[in-house]
Amino acid sequence: MTFLHPLALVGLAAAAIPALLHLLERRVPPEAEFPPLRYLSEAERQNARRLKLRHLLLLILRTALIVLIVVAAARPLFPTQASGGSLHEPTALAVILDNSPSSGLVVDGRPALERLKAVARGSLARATASDRLWLVLADGVARAATPEALLATVDSAAVSARRLDLTAAVRAATRLVGAEPLPAREVHVVSDLQRTALGPGRAGVPRGVRVLALAPPPASQAPANRGVGAARVTDGAAAVSIVGTPGTGAAGGAAPVTLRIHGREVGRALAVPGSTVSITLPPLGPGWWVGDVVLDADELRADDTRLLVWRVAAPARVAALSAAGGGRFVAAALAVLEEGHRVRVGGTDVAIGDRPEAGSLVSVVLPPAEPALIGQANRALAARGGRWRFASAGTPGPIAGSALPAIAGLQVTRRYRIEAVTGDASRGTGGDTTVLATVNGQPWLVRDGNVLLLGSRLDTAWTALPAAPAFVPFVDALVNRLARGEALISEVEGVPRVEFRTRGADTIGAIVYGLDPQESDLTPAPPALVHDVLEAEVLDGAAFAAARFAGAGRRDGSGLLLMLALVCALVELGVATRTR
Amino acid sequence: MRITGPGLSSTRDIRLFISFREAMADVQRIDLLDPAEVARFGGIEIVAQGVVEGFLSGIHRSPFRGFSVEFTEHRAYQPGDELRYLDWKILARADRLFVKQFEQETNLRAMILVDASRSMAWRGAPTRLTKRAYADRLAAALALILLRQRDATGLITFDEVVREVVPARVKAGQWARLVRGLVDTPDGRGTAAQAALVRLTSLLARRGLVVLVSDLLFDRELALTALRYLRHRGHQVIVLHLMDPAEAELAGPPEVRYRDPESAASVVVRPRELARAYQATVRREIDAWRTACRRHGIAYHHILTDMPFGMALRLLA
Repeated sequence: MTFLHPLALVGLAAAAIPALLHLLERRVPPEAEFPPLRYLSEAERQNARRLKLRHLLLLILRTALIVLIVVAAARPLFPTQASGGSLHEPTALAVILDNSPSSGLVVDGRPALERLKAVARGSLARATASDRLWLVLADGVARAATPEALLATVDSAAVSARRLDLTAAVRAATRLVGAEPLPAREVHVVSDLQRTALGPGRAGVPRGVRVLALAPPPASQAPANRGVGAARVTDGAAAVSIVGTPGTGAAGGAAPVTLRIHGREVGRALAVPGSTVSITLPPLGPGWWVGDVVLDADELRADDTRLLVWRVAAPARVAALSAAGGGRFVAAALAVLEEGHRVRVGGTDVAIGDRPEAGSLVSVVLPPAEPALIGQANRALAARGGRWRFASAGTPGPIAGSALPAIAGLQVTRRYRIEAVTGDASRGTGGDTTVLATVNGQPWLVRDGNVLLLGSRLDTAWTALPAAPAFVPFVDALVNRLARGEALISEVEGVPRVEFRTRGADTIGAIVYGLDPQESDLTPAPPALVHDVLEAEVLDGAAFAAARFAGAGRRDGSGLLLMLALVCALVELGVATRTR
Repeated sequence: MRITGPGLSSTRDIRLFISFREAMADVQRIDLLDPAEVARFGGIEIVAQGVVEGFLSGIHRSPFRGFSVEFTEHRAYQPGDELRYLDWKILARADRLFVKQFEQETNLRAMILVDASRSMAWRGAPTRLTKRAYADRLAAALALILLRQRDATGLITFDEVVREVVPARVKAGQWARLVRGLVDTPDGRGTAAQAALVRLTSLLARRGLVVLVSDLLFDRELALTALRYLRHRGHQVIVLHLMDPAEAELAGPPEVRYRDPESAASVVVRPRELARAYQATVRREIDAWRTACRRHGIAYHHILTDMPFGMALRLLA
């Protein structure tokens, strides 16, 4: 038995009031003459035993009356066998409602999310004002609110575009409830329990926290699903990866994949889950293009389409000054790129050398081989209005930077530090200045207006980059993308859409939002795996409902106690007023 | 109106009696009124006379049987009078109904014992007579009846000791002496009935009637021993057990300390708790007295002090 308001039990001290009144508050009764005192004494002598019993009974009844009222005020909770108990001991409860894209799966004509929401509502509806509640949705945010507010949140929850890492969510939720000083602490995982939803590691549930997970359907009943995992344009063709529940391909065969631009079909292919197909793009004019890849509809619609964006531009005309730092590696790379129609050698678009070229649109400036020429290079940069310059030699280190992920980690053995003219790097970064890569945290590749400064010469004596496979793509990106100030087209998890990045009137990049491809694999996690990773009790619907809130319903016993108190009061009244 | 009656010696008494008769003009049976109400009209003499008149007019015959009658006077016939006492000669001569009244020849010596102990001076409510006041009036009325029957009547009042002794006589002025004996006896302290009863045995040389008026709040066995002795000596013994109604049923504040007026004893009780047991105890005590008296040929009557005097006297008839 527990109490909702245990502090009220302090009032039990009042149970001593009848006895204390009897002992301490004895008044001196009024005196009166009464001649037949012998009759009175005789009557009292004969009824002494009955009177003592009556007084004792009255004392017990009055004490019991106070005890019952005080205990009723403390709201005792009695455990019941049935799970339908209306109350329970104060509980810190976090409900994780997995409304990730996979919850949009239509099962028996209804989204799976509806079933999950009903279970979550069941947990929240049984909460009382003495509970501490959180609701975690696919965004991973733990919302603390009243049961009513969280019920409203559950009711309004829709299928999210965000994947939920259940392991991380359970880890965070258990830490949250584990810090609450309440008698019971539970985390209810209401999810379709995809295998892919279980992140790396284990949840690490603190002691005293129960984790209940709603059991997924058996793996044999895993719904078939196909989805577009990724779509990217490379070399005039769209590479489309098809993902889905394993085995779906064998059961359903190849599925048609359609590429559309502005709603118009421009290509089609057949693919099975786990494969990547290439759809050739038609000739397109220069500019940014947005298309989508579409699969035939299935029970999970959210992953049946994916947006893709790319830019069509004329090959850059590059002039590599042989005397400059380009050297043979740059020349070789440009030759390869020219052969692939990625560049045209001999032009004024991009000039690669150890100083800015006056006649070119963009200059890629490498440090001179001779340290004595650094000052000359810096003066040339200053003459072009540059705000960055070469400084002293820097320490070796790996390349880092998000603009060129392919070269990240490659070693730089020799370099010059690149610093702002004023010596304050922050003053050198403006709207048209970008640090594209760093070494040891210091700028290594900087775009400053129409000048790209590189801290090392593109030679194996300076860096391992020329010897790496990423060198040619690097040079391609350098002259075709970075020289124009363009950023990498990034793919981000979110509601499918495209956001373009602009600088002034120019579009310099795009962000493509789409679903996490892991959501397309609807294979449920085995209960043993869930138990192992989430340290949860995996229960079906009925068992889950029965196990909630410490597994047993608790009924408020205050009503019963008040009834007993009323009975005590009536009996006391009867005994006290009984005269014959 | 001619005013007659024994004991009306002073002008004040006569004036009071006139007021009493006027107030009672429309009441035929004042002996059946509430004793406290009747007591407001005057002292013992006036009340006793009124009670006796009402009592005798209602009973229509002598309550105490005598024999060897001697004619004394005529009086007008009243419905209910026995026809055997009708004077047929007057009826034949004057066509008027008169009955003959006779004097009984005295052969009875009655001694009335009145308990004057402290407990008798108690009453349960201000609207009631104390037991002593009730006993005095009842004794006076009884004595008046006996004296009218020409029975020698005496009085002994007692508490711990015998206070007043009026020897049994039948001569004129005896009733006044008896009343004076009652009035002159103060409220006493304790009760030692057996001492008074022993003294009585020496005063009653001839057999007669002994009437004990008391609340009987003394040792029953000791009192019965004395009464049995009287009975053994050939006396006719009547015990009038007076009790205030508040003594018969216990009531009062939630908690009270009751003190015996005749001793230092006291007890704290909750009347509501003890009422039932107390009532049963009183009932047992009365039954015990009644049974014991009956066993020894003693007449026993239980009288509450709110009982009209006429009804109390009728118990003796």
